Amino acid sequence: MVLLLDLLTTASMLFVVTAGLMMIFGVMKIVNFAHGALLTMGGYAAFVVTQLQLSPWLSWPLAFATGVVVGAAVEYFIVRPLYKRPLDAILATWGLGIVIGQLIVMAFGREVKFADTPLQGTWAILGVDYSAYRLLLIPVAFGLCALLSGLLNGTRFGVKTRAVIMNEELASGLGIHSGRIRFITFSLGAGLGTLAGTLITPLSSVDPGMGLPWLVSAFMLVMVSGHSMLSLMLTCLVFGTCQVLVSTYASPVLGGMTLALLAALTLRIRPEGFARG
Amino acid sequence: MKSIQTLIRVGTVAAAASIAFSSHAADPIRIGVAVGLSGANSVVAPAVVQSSQLAVDQINAGGGILGRQIQLEIVDDASGAIGAQKAFDTLVFEKKVDAVIAMETSAARNAALPVIARGKVPYIYTSFYEGRSCNNWMYVNGWVPEQQVAPVVNYFIKAKNAKTYFLVGSDYSFGRGMLDFTKKYIEQNGGKVVGEEYLPMDGSDWTAVVSKIRSVKPDALISATAGGAPNVSLAKQLKGAGLNLPYGNLAIDEGTAKTMGDVATGLFMSASYLTSIDTPENKKFVGDLGKKFGGDLKTPNELSEPQFEAFHLYKAAVEKAGSTDSAKVIKALGEVSFNGPRGPVSMNKSRHTPLSMRLGQVQSDGSIKILETFANVDPGAQCPNIK
Repeated sequence: MVLLLDLLTTASMLFVVTAGLMMIFGVMKIVNFAHGALLTMGGYAAFVVTQLQLSPWLSWPLAFATGVVVGAAVEYFIVRPLYKRPLDAILATWGLGIVIGQLIVMAFGREVKFADTPLQGTWAILGVDYSAYRLLLIPVAFGLCALLSGLLNGTRFGVKTRAVIMNEELASGLGIHSGRIRFITFSLGAGLGTLAGTLITPLSSVDPGMGLPWLVSAFMLVMVSGHSMLSLMLTCLVFGTCQVLVSTYASPVLGGMTLALLAALTLRIRPEGFARG
Repeated sequence: MKSIQTLIRVGTVAAAASIAFSSHAADPIRIGVAVGLSGANSVVAPAVVQSSQLAVDQINAGGGILGRQIQLEIVDDASGAIGAQKAFDTLVFEKKVDAVIAMETSAARNAALPVIARGKVPYIYTSFYEGRSCNNWMYVNGWVPEQQVAPVVNYFIKAKNAKTYFLVGSDYSFGRGMLDFTKKYIEQNGGKVVGEEYLPMDGSDWTAVVSKIRSVKPDALISATAGGAPNVSLAKQLKGAGLNLPYGNLAIDEGTAKTMGDVATGLFMSASYLTSIDTPENKKFVGDLGKKFGGDLKTPNELSEPQFEAFHLYKAAVEKAGSTDSAKVIKALGEVSFNGPRGPVSMNKSRHTPLSMRLGQVQSDGSIKILETFANVDPGAQCPNIK
């Protein structure tokens, strides 16, 4: 029973930290390597909220808003000129990640910080006492998945976005402002990144390097999953399951490598990706 | 006329010589400190630098060592092996220091030791570590597993009646080394290790480990993770899972425990130095630091206090030897003692130091209450081949 909950919560965590990266990669074919730094920013948003003695729940909207603003600025000044040069964009966002990390060190220092948890304690579910916050992450992840799928598949914005993905010139010819679509998508993706940072804070420490291990997992997941949020969710479920099973029945050290190994294998066997039709 | 000139000339030479001589007598003693001003150690480095400066100020204000002032040479080692090698090269061969007093990670210490041996400079290693590093030119005044593990395990056996133990660590030399020793120690004392799990150093997802602990239901948990972040994520996830068994942490420092807030409450730790040690020597140490650095004060810790102590031990050794001659000082370092914040210390056991170990428990306000002091815990025969 515990195992099932471990699987679900791990998959949810993976989905939450990957969604923002997916958003940007899916629409713009740019891997945003500053995603790790955005996660870290989210952690510090939670820390700031704790310092101001506000309700920890406020860290969620604050983190999202911060991410959107930073994302908007980054898109406008750094990423916009690089759409035609995806490799340079990787370099630029990686460098940006380092810069954001150093700014955080300058502002908050290197030490481990502590942020309050919005939800403490355990819930009894199916006969076990399980971490309430981890359980909360399950509906959050599925809700986020539904919301983002709805946005991309069921709204006017989604239609325009898909038009830009498929044929940017034609879309522009039809009067779709492709630059604005990219701008909004990038900001939204960045906001999701910082939100994810806040969401994982109750399970991790707040320090300048907190986002990096997650960035690696998120990158793997985005590479092997398809374009849609649903396929990402599926990938997270399958890969998260493997990770937890290996950690539980073999060793957590091997469990840590499971994602990378599976990703490599998947891309070897199915270069088009795990869940791509 | 000529004789007068000669006289003047001779006089001048004599005067110059006497100036040169007297300036030689007042030549400062240079002590090198290599420390991670950048990189992972930069969290603790400022406290280490401050306690070095305090020690030097105190010694200089008291007339120096053998009438010579101390000059501090601080070099950044970038917290790593390559940086340490460069830093020690600079200190030993360029700045020509008389001694080096420095904490290092184990990898950095191993990289620096050949430089020390080549330059034949006394080196006092001030960090706790996994033990059994030996060099003719090195003394150690931090703890080794033999000293650190016993208080926690003894307390769990005696006060918590713990029979089964679960061990959790980060997958690197310190984590593995500490837990290997802990396992042996528990088994020697009639306990049983029912689980042992490791996570990579940068790992932060303890899901599977926490679930295993829950299913095995041990009487107590002991961890030795990489300092800082893994400690926090493990403690948070344990608490989140509602596990509240006795938990001893072999790798946490006072500062981290403080920032962790209520997540750390109830945690057991073992240390040779805690700021709450209630002795006049410690109160003076903490007070003097406060006076010297005011608002910039970094809380002294398990790495910065031995640093402070080592300067006074070096002073005692040079005074006993009557010179800064390396071989004589090395001999004297094992014979002198200093009554510092941790109590009287003397590096007289196989190049290592018997220490009073404190078992502390983190209180809800973040302070650390000393539950028990184990006096004079022996480091064991760390370096049996060095006399």
